[in-house]
Amino acid sequence: MKKRWLAGILALMMGITSIGCGVGVISPGESEHQGTTNTGRIVVGFSQLGAESDWRSANSQSMRSAFTKEKGYEFIFEDGQQKQANQITAIRTFIQQEVDYIVLAPVTETGWDNVLQEAKDAGIPVIIVDRMVDVEDESLFTCWVGSNFELEGQKVAEWLNQYAKSQNIQPEDLHIVNIQGTIGASAQIGRTKGLADAAKKYGWDLMAEVSGDFTQAKGREAMEALLKQFDNINVVYCENDNSALGAIQAIEATGKKVGPNIAEGEIMIISFDGVNEEAIQLALEHKITCIAECNPLHGPRVEAIIELLEKGQKPDKFSYVDEMIYSANESVKTLTIDDKEYEVTIITEDILTERQY
Amino acid sequence: MTGIKKLVKNQIFIPIAALLLLALFNLLADPEFFLIELGYNSAGNPVLKGYLVTILDYGSELAILAMGMTLVTAASGGQDISVGATIAIAGSVILRVLCGTDPRPETMQAPIIVAFLVAVVVSMLCGAFNGTLVAYFKIPPMVATLILFTAGRSIAAWINNNALPIVNDPSFGYFGNFIPGIPVPTPFFIAVVCMIIMALILKFTTLGLYTQSVGINESSARLNGLNPQFIKFLSFVILGVCVAVAGLIKVSRISTINYSVVAKDIEMDAILAVALGGNALSGGKFNMTASILGAYVIQFLTTTLYKFQVKSDALPAYKAIVVIILVVSSAPVVREWMSNLWKKITIKKQVKEVG
Amino acid sequence: MLKNKIKNLTDTNLLLAITIIVFFVMYISAMVFLGEGFLKPQAFLNILGSNAALIIVSCGMSLVMITGGIDISVGGVVALVSMCCAVYLDHHNGSIWGAILISLGIGLLFGLVQGFLVSYLEIQPFIVSLAGMFFARGLTTMVNTNSFNVKHEEFVALKDTRIVIPGLGSYNRLGKYIDAKIEVGVIVAILVVILLFCILRWVKLGRNFYAVGGNPQSALMLGINVKRTKFYSHLICSLLAGVGGFVYFMHVGSGSASHAMGMEMDAIASSIIGGTMLTGGVGNIIGTFFGVISLSTIQNIVTSVGLDDAWWTGITVAAMLCIFLIIQSVVMARKRKAVKG
Repeated sequence: MKKRWLAGILALMMGITSIGCGVGVISPGESEHQGTTNTGRIVVGFSQLGAESDWRSANSQSMRSAFTKEKGYEFIFEDGQQKQANQITAIRTFIQQEVDYIVLAPVTETGWDNVLQEAKDAGIPVIIVDRMVDVEDESLFTCWVGSNFELEGQKVAEWLNQYAKSQNIQPEDLHIVNIQGTIGASAQIGRTKGLADAAKKYGWDLMAEVSGDFTQAKGREAMEALLKQFDNINVVYCENDNSALGAIQAIEATGKKVGPNIAEGEIMIISFDGVNEEAIQLALEHKITCIAECNPLHGPRVEAIIELLEKGQKPDKFSYVDEMIYSANESVKTLTIDDKEYEVTIITEDILTERQY
Repeated sequence: MTGIKKLVKNQIFIPIAALLLLALFNLLADPEFFLIELGYNSAGNPVLKGYLVTILDYGSELAILAMGMTLVTAASGGQDISVGATIAIAGSVILRVLCGTDPRPETMQAPIIVAFLVAVVVSMLCGAFNGTLVAYFKIPPMVATLILFTAGRSIAAWINNNALPIVNDPSFGYFGNFIPGIPVPTPFFIAVVCMIIMALILKFTTLGLYTQSVGINESSARLNGLNPQFIKFLSFVILGVCVAVAGLIKVSRISTINYSVVAKDIEMDAILAVALGGNALSGGKFNMTASILGAYVIQFLTTTLYKFQVKSDALPAYKAIVVIILVVSSAPVVREWMSNLWKKITIKKQVKEVG
Repeated sequence: MLKNKIKNLTDTNLLLAITIIVFFVMYISAMVFLGEGFLKPQAFLNILGSNAALIIVSCGMSLVMITGGIDISVGGVVALVSMCCAVYLDHHNGSIWGAILISLGIGLLFGLVQGFLVSYLEIQPFIVSLAGMFFARGLTTMVNTNSFNVKHEEFVALKDTRIVIPGLGSYNRLGKYIDAKIEVGVIVAILVVILLFCILRWVKLGRNFYAVGGNPQSALMLGINVKRTKFYSHLICSLLAGVGGFVYFMHVGSGSASHAMGMEMDAIASSIIGGTMLTGGVGNIIGTFFGVISLSTIQNIVTSVGLDDAWWTGITVAAMLCIFLIIQSVVMARKRKAVKG
């Protein structure tokens, strides 16, 4: 009797544990990734901040496809679900697992000193992607790959400036609201600054800045509130595509029209990322007037850096990815920012088919 | 005098009083709150606009949930906290069926009714899962539903492989927005249909009676030949159906889904609606009308707060204060104390009159 | 034979034994099958470090659950505490002691109000703490909507303080010896666990908690002040949420409205896995401790075997909760039968 009981309890426990371990048995490669040096594969631990937008999904996908087993990598992915504490835990786990490289897409800029120090002590190079980290000692991370968010903001603002000039719209007649990203994220800081600086410089009427958290639902909510608050909005500056989609829904639900013809009462939507197919589609229909691309394909870049490091070479500390600006409107052809010229890519069906993501 | 007393004692008094109070507050603060105007949406269809319409619109999905939640509360003496997560599952299932494997199909892959029925079956299964744990394994409802609460949104994401499918067909949007030509938001009609069905069920079956007797005293219900376990189980399954309807409205509103945000905290609002309706959260007697009214009062409150520029993040704090005032004023201890106080005052008056 | 043994074990000890055995089986199999990620002592210490706050909060939760109540405001209180401390330290350049006082003060305030409403006005604890949660969350965003890291020097020094545990270090792949370290919060958590364990075991108040949760009527007949006992349980729970809030704040070093989202549910889950029953009267603080680390271990296992998509964690935690609930339900039913027979 006693034995039967014990056996029963033990069997149950084994059952529970096998939920965890069983999967490891099914896919033989999985349990190997701790044996870093034994298999000869390079183990890369990637702490992604979350899966809040299409841009993020494309970014994660790009990483996954860059570090495949065929190329000799073992890739460990950890989703931080928008919490820094989760990401710190993930990095600590990577250190315990003795991965060869840590790639970090940080959710916020500050608060990384300690854990990056631990990684440095353990001798693991850390590559930061997308958003920046704000640490006192820059040697804590090996290098950074990402977008120049302020430049993205400047590009769009400059486009708006030239467009307004070409349509003979007075700067004070541009009533702008900004649907910001997650407060504190580099993309939000850079893009908000790009607009705020331009508004000051040209004398635009920047009426409100509200966070849309980079999501469609929040973007819609924020826009609904703004529409109730102001009745003269004619430009909506959305800090990513998903919040732009939400904003368009909110505007159309009230019966107003979105489009580039401000003079005719349309509300102009300006957006960032250009990853979401629906957003590109809307841009083709002139519903989103202008999109500054934010390139999510960090995978190949990071892979190139790791190859360099494997060879014992030193990569550039900061590298920006190339980014374009899209519009279906042909009023503005080129932009000049800080003496550098950027061509506006007129959006066509081809862009959707030619892109790699 | 007795009339007033009777009214105060009546269960439905609480939500009505709250509603009147809120209405009065809005009337004094800004009468524009009650303005309803006819406008046109982007498709050029006539739609009604105004804060009251918003309340009718968003309160309806809450009312549907509140109906199911009332039954669960009455039968099991506990609440289902997984409704928000199950809405995510139901919504995800609807989109999965409509979109097939391609997250952005040109046309719908299946009729909406099929997708909806599949979602109903799935959320009934979720309800059955909760119901089994509660009724047959005797796990307290809040704990049993904690399981789906934790896993629900994950399962919803998993159903669609974490993609965010989008339905392009405008007819799918009718359920959460407006049907062309009808200026009243569709969710209201859906809620009315649900209410009629529920009223018929309560009138022509013994469900209501059985539920109450199980909630009041389980063992005496058993001695009277009822099967308390099955009735508890059934109440969770019925809530599952309500959840599927609410899920349809939710995904139809935006034609897509966001797993972590959709119907967030709605379980709290639904439970509040039941509590606001004056129903004992420990089970037993219930009043369906009061719960439904409670749901609209909650939405009234939410909309009022939004109107006064309260940020959506800060909203819960105000709601909490209102809730505490409501539950404290309806707590038996406080009521007894108040009625004693009232008696004292009236007796003094009488004494004075006599004197 | 075993029937007698099981009969002799109290409900509390039986469930505790199950929890501890499951944890060890799980951790040892993880060490065997998954290797390095779990072999080093530091890996275990990391689990402790990132869950110190949850351990403290769950202890309070168990206490309330033992008296038959529930408190879902704890996550909100933790978020509110870290936000207030962050604002106080960063924007007002306050002192660490001040911040600790703020944490305790917030916890005390929530405890007093909620305890009063629950025990003396006899309002259901679920509704009271639901309102408490709403209030705390809303207040947090009113204090500050941004998410920011605290740069206060003394605080950063405290946050980065690590206590070296001799003998548990290991060599990393560069051949360097790295000491095993724990955060200050872990010490606090362990102290709380020991203190509460002692109270529940040897202090009269602690025994009263079990009596009130097990059967309020007979507790009343025994001369126990049921209302006051319930009041104390809520007070202690919220106070511990305040302490947990500060420990959480020390761990993350930032204020944010989204901090500790869903922590109340984690705490409830940990308590249940640790053998506390929501019906009251049964539970053990040591079990809660193992509940928290079991929960965290299973999450680590899930990501280690390559199920890296975020949804897997949610699903496994729920599955674990489900299995434990059913084990408890079955075991208790069997035991009841055995006692009756």
